[in-house]
Amino acid sequence: MFKDPFDPQSRLGRRCRCGGNHPAPEHGRLTAVPAGEEARWNRVVDAAVLRAVFPVDAQRRLFLKTVGAATAMAAISSVLPLAAAREAFAQGGAPEKKDLKVGFIPITCATPIIMAHPMGFYAKHGLDVEVVKTAGWAVIRDKSLAKEYDASHMLSPMPLAISLGVGSNPVPWTIPAIENINGQAITLAMKHKDKRDPKDWKGFKFAVPFDYSMHNYLLRYYVAEHGLDPDKDISIRSVPPPEMVANLRADNIDGYLGPDPFNQRAVYDGVGFIHLLTKELWDGHPCCAFAVSKEFAGQNPNAYRALLKAIIEATTFASKAENRKEIAKAIAPQNYLNQPETVLEQILTGTYADGLGSVKKDPNRIDFDPFPWNQFAIWILTQMKRWGQLKADVDYAKVASEVFLATDTAAMMKEMGLAPPDPVKKTIVVMGKPFDPAKPDQYVNSFAIKRS
Amino acid sequence: MAHQARDLPGVGRLERPLISVEGLARRFGDSAQPAVFENIWFGVDRGEFVCLIGHSGCGKTTILNVLAGLDQPSEGAVIVDNREIDGPSLDRAVIFQGHALLPWLSVMGNIAFAVASRWPAWDRARVQGHARRFIDLVGLQGAEIKKPSQLSGGMKQRVGIARALSIEPKMLLMDEPFSALDALTRGMLQDEVLRICAATRQTVFMITHDVDEAILLADRIVLMTNGPGAKIAEIVVNTMPRNERHRNDLHRHPQYYAIRNHLVEFLVNRSRAFDQEIAGAGYDPRRVKLVKPGLAAVNPPAEIVPFRHTYLKTEDGRQQ
Amino acid sequence: MPSVRNSLGLRAAALSLLIFVGIVAVWQVATMPTAGSGAAMDPEYAKLVGAAAAGGSKSAMPTPADIGATIFKHLSDPFYVRGSNDKGIGIQLAYSLGRVLLGFALAALVAVPFGFLIGMSPLVYRALDPFIQILKPVSPLAWMPLALYTIKDSAISSIFVIFICSIWPMLINTAFGVASVRREWLNVARTLEVGPLRTAFRVILPAAAPTIMTGMRISIGIAWLVIVAAEMLVGGTGIGYFVWNEWNNLSIANIVTAILLIGLVGLLLDQGLAWLTKLVTYPE
Repeated sequence: MFKDPFDPQSRLGRRCRCGGNHPAPEHGRLTAVPAGEEARWNRVVDAAVLRAVFPVDAQRRLFLKTVGAATAMAAISSVLPLAAAREAFAQGGAPEKKDLKVGFIPITCATPIIMAHPMGFYAKHGLDVEVVKTAGWAVIRDKSLAKEYDASHMLSPMPLAISLGVGSNPVPWTIPAIENINGQAITLAMKHKDKRDPKDWKGFKFAVPFDYSMHNYLLRYYVAEHGLDPDKDISIRSVPPPEMVANLRADNIDGYLGPDPFNQRAVYDGVGFIHLLTKELWDGHPCCAFAVSKEFAGQNPNAYRALLKAIIEATTFASKAENRKEIAKAIAPQNYLNQPETVLEQILTGTYADGLGSVKKDPNRIDFDPFPWNQFAIWILTQMKRWGQLKADVDYAKVASEVFLATDTAAMMKEMGLAPPDPVKKTIVVMGKPFDPAKPDQYVNSFAIKRS
Repeated sequence: MAHQARDLPGVGRLERPLISVEGLARRFGDSAQPAVFENIWFGVDRGEFVCLIGHSGCGKTTILNVLAGLDQPSEGAVIVDNREIDGPSLDRAVIFQGHALLPWLSVMGNIAFAVASRWPAWDRARVQGHARRFIDLVGLQGAEIKKPSQLSGGMKQRVGIARALSIEPKMLLMDEPFSALDALTRGMLQDEVLRICAATRQTVFMITHDVDEAILLADRIVLMTNGPGAKIAEIVVNTMPRNERHRNDLHRHPQYYAIRNHLVEFLVNRSRAFDQEIAGAGYDPRRVKLVKPGLAAVNPPAEIVPFRHTYLKTEDGRQQ
Repeated sequence: MPSVRNSLGLRAAALSLLIFVGIVAVWQVATMPTAGSGAAMDPEYAKLVGAAAAGGSKSAMPTPADIGATIFKHLSDPFYVRGSNDKGIGIQLAYSLGRVLLGFALAALVAVPFGFLIGMSPLVYRALDPFIQILKPVSPLAWMPLALYTIKDSAISSIFVIFICSIWPMLINTAFGVASVRREWLNVARTLEVGPLRTAFRVILPAAAPTIMTGMRISIGIAWLVIVAAEMLVGGTGIGYFVWNEWNNLSIANIVTAILLIGLVGLLLDQGLAWLTKLVTYPE
C-alpha cells in the first residue's frame, strides 16, 4: 500500500497473499514501510489519487516512463491539489462523535481499555472517552445493546453469542481487538493444598464469571482431560468475580477459574492459592475483548477508527514488559480497578506469590496482543457446540470472520505502522492437543466427554 | 330532589304542618320479620318544639335519621313545607348524639365549614363574622381557636348546637343531644336550648329518654311504644306555658307531677302493654290521641281533641 | 412531671450508649489479630502478600478503630470528584437520594388518587385486591431485569423499580384510611349538603391523612432499601454503586462505613416523614 506510485517500476495491480499489490516473493522488500507517520499517510494519498487518474495500471506506467516522476507530480497537482488531499487525509476525518462511553468490568483483562484513559491514549486520537465501571457481564451486555455504551469490554465468546442470538436477541457484534491473552488462573481454597490432582476433585463446587466465557470453556476442558465430566462430577456456577474470593473464604466454593486480580487477591488475603495459570493450559489463549456493535462502526467510521487506534496502541504499549509497573500504578486507584497496587504489580509483571509460600516468576502470566484471530473464534464456537450451548449447526468460518475482524484489524495495524502477525505461524495447542481450525466438526467429535 | 306532595284523592287540599310524617315504616330483612315500626303519622308545626320519647329499640333514632334524610324508610314519606324530602338538606340541621365535630378543625373552623356550605359565595370575613355570632350565642367566646380535643363534653355539644343553628335551618333535629353528658352540664345546656329557642322560635324535633328534659323543653311529647312493631301510642300536650317553665322551679309547678307521672307510667308499663290496651278499642294511627294530663291537675279531665293532622279544610273554610 | 420524663430520656440515652460501647468492645476483641500458623516465611514472599497472609492467617475483619478512621476519612472530604467512577460519598448519597425522591414522588402521585378510588368503592377494592396482593411481595431484584429488558435505560429502570416497590404501602394505607373515615363525619357533610368533591378534600382527606402519611413513611423506607439493591445491580453513581465498588476491593471497612451512612440517611428520611405525620395527626 505504501509503494511509491510515481515509481514507473512499481505495479499497483497484482496482489500478494497479504493483500498488498506486489508479487508474493517481493513481499518483504516492497512492504517496507516508510518511516514517519506523515510520509506514510502521504504515500497512501498519492497512491489513491494516481489510481483514480489511471484506472488501468499500464497507462500509469507508460505516463511515468514518458514524463518522469517530477513532471507527473506537477501535472497532477495542477489539476488535483495533492497537498490539500494529503492534508485532508492526515486529519483522518474528524470523529463524528467525540464523547464516547466505554464500559468495563474492573478486572485486569481490561487493562488496555482502562489505562488508555489516565495514560492519554484516547485523548491522543482526539477522543473524550469516559470509561464506566460496570456491575456485571449481564449489565454490560444490556447497556451495550441499549446503546448506552458505544463500545465495551466483553468476554470473547459474548459477541459471538450476541451475534448468533444465543441468550439475547441476535444483533451483529464485532471484536476488532482482543484485550488480553492468558491472565487467568485456577485458584483453590487453602484447605485443598494437598489436592492438586484434578482426579480428587469429584464433588467440588467451582465458580466461573459467566456461562459464555473462556473461563468456563477452559475449566471444562481441563477437568474433562482428567476424566471428570464437568456437568456430572463437579458443579460449575456463575459468580461475579469479586464474590469469588468471598465465597472461597466462606467455604461456599472449593475453587474457581477466574480473572485477575481475584486470583492474586485470594493469595493476598490468605484465602486461597494459585493451582494453575491458564497460560499452562493454552499459552496465548484469548480472554477478554474490545467489542463494538456493527452499527456503531458503520455509523461512526471515523470515531470507530480513532477508538480502535487508541486501543491497539494501548495494547501494544502494555505488551512490553518494561511498561507493566507504570501501568499497574496508573490503574490501581479507586476510579479504575480499586485494588492494592502490589496485587496489580504482581499480576502484570509476573513475579508473584503463589499462596503456598513460594515466589514464582512468569513474565507472560498475562500478555496483551490485540490481534483477533479467526481461529480463536472457531475454537470458541466448537466448545459452545461441545457443551450444548449451540444447538444448531453453524458455519464456523463465516461467523468467525464476521465477528472477529482479523482482516480489518490487520489493515488498521498496517496503517499505524505496526506489523500484523503472520497467520501462517499461528497454531493453537490446548493441553498438548493441536487444533485445526479447518476441521471444527471433527474437533468437536474427537472429545470423549461432551454434550452434543 | 323533592317534588310536590301528592294530594289525597277525593279530598280537598290538605293543610299540612311544617313537617308531616305520613305512614312511615321501617323493615329489615324479608317481609316475614316484624317491622321496627309501622304506620307512623305525626306532624310538627312551625315554631313548635316536639320531643319523641320511647325505650331503646323502638326506632326513635331511625325516625330521626329518616327525617334528616340520612336513611330511607321502607314505606311512607316525610313532607316538609309541602314537599317530599329526598336526602339530607341544609333546611334540616342535625345535632348528633356524639357531637360529630371534625377533630382537625377548630371551633371556628367547624362552624365556618357549615356556614360556608350554606353560603358558598360568602368571603372568609363574612363567614367568620356570622360564625362568631353563634359562638357567642352558645357562650363560647374566647374558645374559637381551640380544637375539639381541648374542649369538655358540654362545650363540644355547644359547638354542635352552634353549628346547627348557624346555617339558619327550617328545623333542628336533635338525637339525644345531652345523654352523653353529666347531669350538671346537661342541665346547663338545657337552659341554653330553652333560652335560644325562646328567642328564635326555632322549630325543633328532639329525641330523648329523659322525661324531665321533655317536660322542660317540649310543647308536645310523642310517645312511642316498644319495638318491634312500635307505634305512636299518644301525644301529650305540654299544657304548662313556656314562660312558666324554668329548670330551677319546674318541680314546683302544679301541673308538673301530673304530666310527669303520666309519662313515667307510660314508659314503665303502658309502652310494653299497649297492644293489649288498644285491643278492639279502635286505634287509628292517623288520628293518634292527644292527651293533656297536666290539666287533670287543675281541671277536670279535658276533652280529647283529635290530632290536627286529620282535619280537612273544605273550599268554604269550614272544618270537618 | 418533667423531671420524671427527663430522667427516663436520660436513662434511655445512657443505656443506648452502654450497648453501643459493649458492641464495639466485643467487636474489637473478636477482630484482634490471631497468631498465625507460625511457619517461617520467606521475607520476599511476605512482602508480596497482605499483612494477614504474611502471618499465615486469612485477612481479618477490620477493627472498630479501622472503621472509625475510614468514616472520618470519608466524611472529611465528602464531595470530591476524581473521575467518573470515583466520587465522594456525599455525591453518591445525593444521587441515590435524588432517585429515591423521584421514584417515591411518582409512586405517591399514583397511589393516593388510586387509593381514594379503591377506598370509596368496595367493588373496585375487591376487584383490584388480587393484583395488589400478587405484586406486593415481589422483590426489586426480580423487577430489575424485567425493567432493563423493556425500558432499556438503566437510570429510568432504577426509578421504575423504586416506584413499583414503594407504591404498595401507600396505596393500601390510603384505601384503608379512606374506607375507615367515621360515618359520623360523612353524615355531617351530607346534612350540610356538601358536594362529593368538597367532601373528598375537606372531610375524607384530612380524616384519612394520618393513615396515608403512615403509609408514606413505610414507603420511603422501602424506597431507600430498594435503591441500594438496584444500584448494586446497575452501577452508575450512587451509594449502592459505592458499596459494590468497595466490594470489588474487598474493603470491608468501606462497606461498613457505607452501611452506617445508609442507615443514617434512612433514619433521617423516616424521621422526616414521622414529623410530617405528626403535623396531620389530630387527637380524637
